Amino acid sequence: MSKKILVVDDEDHVVKYLTIFLQDCGYETCSASNGEEATEVLHREKPDLVTLDLQMPNETGTRFYRNMTKDKEFKDVPVIVISGIPGRHLAVSKPVAVFEKPVDRNALLDAIKKTIGE
Amino acid sequence: MNDFANEHYRRLLDALPCYVTLQDRELNILWCNESYQRDFGLPYGKTCFELYGTDKAKCSDCPVEKTFLDGLIHSREMTVKTKDDHRTNMMVYSSPVRDDNGKIISVLETAVNVTSVKDMQKQLILLGQTVAGMAHSIKNIMMGLEGGIYVVNKGIEDKSQDEIKEGWEMVLLNFDKISHIVKDILYCSKDREPNLQEIRPNDVVREVYKLFKSMAGSYAIEIRLDLDGNVRDAVIDPAGLHTVLSNLVTNAMDACKIDLWKDEHLVEVRTRKGKNGSTIIEVADNGIGIGKDLKAHVFEDFFSSKGDKGTGLGLMVTQKILREHGGKITFRSRPGRGTTFVATFPRKELPNGAGQ
Ligand SMILES: Nc1ncnc2c1ncn2[C@@H]1O[C@H](COP(=O)(O)OP(=O)(O)O)[C@@H](O)[C@H]1O
Ligand SMILES: [Mg+2]
Repeated sequence: MSKKILVVDDEDHVVKYLTIFLQDCGYETCSASNGEEATEVLHREKPDLVTLDLQMPNETGTRFYRNMTKDKEFKDVPVIVISGIPGRHLAVSKPVAVFEKPVDRNALLDAIKKTIGE
Repeated sequence: MNDFANEHYRRLLDALPCYVTLQDRELNILWCNESYQRDFGLPYGKTCFELYGTDKAKCSDCPVEKTFLDGLIHSREMTVKTKDDHRTNMMVYSSPVRDDNGKIISVLETAVNVTSVKDMQKQLILLGQTVAGMAHSIKNIMMGLEGGIYVVNKGIEDKSQDEIKEGWEMVLLNFDKISHIVKDILYCSKDREPNLQEIRPNDVVREVYKLFKSMAGSYAIEIRLDLDGNVRDAVIDPAGLHTVLSNLVTNAMDACKIDLWKDEHLVEVRTRKGKNGSTIIEVADNGIGIGKDLKAHVFEDFFSSKGDKGTGLGLMVTQKILREHGGKITFRSRPGRGTTFVATFPRKELPNGAGQ
C-alpha cells in the first residue's frame, strides 16, 4: 500500500503543486488549508507524513503542530516544514527537514523517501 | 596666553556645532561653550547629570568617570533632555585634560546631537521590514509559478487538456499578481504630489459602484450607496479617490465572500461632511470582521490573511494616498459582525493657478 502524505498550506497553488507532484511520485495525498482543517484531516486520513507551512495567518500552523505532538496517536508522525520565512521552523521542535519556498522538489522528495520510504 | 589668543579660542569653541563642557571628578561643570548654554541653561554650580535631566542621578556607564579612571577616550550614546524638555539623542565623547605633570585635572566632554541619525535608522528598519515582506511574498509567487509550470508540463506529457488549462491558470494568476505588486510598490516608492482637482466625491463613488455592482451580484453581495447631498465640491485627486474606494470595496467584498454565517451580505458606501469642511467616506460590510490578533497587522505592508488571493498592499496604497492628502484612514470592526473603514479627506484649497 502506498504511503499517505498530508499537505498543509493556506495557498491553494502550493497545495495543488505539492499534491500533484507527490502523487506523481507514487504517494497518496490529502490536504488542508488551515490548522483546524489539518487536525480534522489528520484524524480522518491518518497520514504517514505531514508537510507543514508555518506562516499561515493566526499561527494556526503552529497550533496544529502543538496539538499533534500532544496527541499520543500522532506525536511521532514525521513533519517536514515548508516556509517562506527563514527561521520560522524553530517553532517546531523536531522537523525531519526544513525547506524554504520556493521548494527544490527533488530535495523534498529525497527527504520524504529517506523518512517513510518510496 | 595673551588675551587675544584666549578670546580667539573661546570663539572657536563657541562656534563648534556640538556641546563642549569641561568637568571635574564630581561631574561639576567648570566651563561650557555657547551651544551648550543655549540648549541646557547656565551650568555653573551644577553637575552634568542635573543639566541633562537624567532624573538627578548619574548616568550608568558615565564616560567622563571612566576617563578620570583610565585616562583614555570613551564614548557612549545617550538620551538627554534639553532645558525646554526636548528629548535628544546624543553621542558623547570624553577625553582627559592633563596638567604639566601629566595628571588628569579635568575631562573634556563633547556631545553631538544624533537625533536625526536615529530617526533615519528607524526608517531604515521599517524599510528592511518592507523588503523582508516583499521577499516572502515573491517567494510564494515563485512557488506558484513553478507549480503552474510543473502542472502544464505534466499536462503536455499526459496529453491532458484539463491539466494544461489548470496549470496555465496558475501561471497566469501568479503573473497577474506579480504585476500588481510591482505596480503598487512603484506607486508607494515615489514621493508624489496628488493631482488635486475640484471634484464631486459622490460622482466617483457612483463610478466605482458601477464597476463592482455586477461582480458583487455574482457573489450574492449587495452594494448600497448612502450619499450625502451636502458633499458637493471637494479638492481631491480623483484617481487617488478611485483607488481608495476600489481597494476598500474589494476588501469589504472579500470579507463577505468568506463569511459563511450570514444569509445576506451587504457592502455600504457612505459619504458625509466631517469637521472643518472635511469629506468623510465610509465603506462598511457585514463580513467576517477583523479579529483581535489581526487588528494590529492590517496596515502592515504585505500583510494579507488571504493566502495566494491577497498581496497585502491594498491598504498600504490606500494609506499612502490619504497621507498625500493630509488625511487619514481608520477602521472599527466587530469580529463575526463586520467592519467599517473610514477615510477622511481634509478640506483643501486648489494650489494657486491650478485647475481653473
Ligand atoms: N473589510 C475587511 N474585513 C475584514 N478584514 C479586512 C478588511 N479589510 C482588510 N482586511 C484585512 O486586512 C488585510 C490586508 O488588506 P489589504 O492590504 O487590502 O491586502 P489584501 O486585500 O491583498 O489581503 C486583509 O488580508 C484582511 O485580513
Ligand atoms: Mg485588499
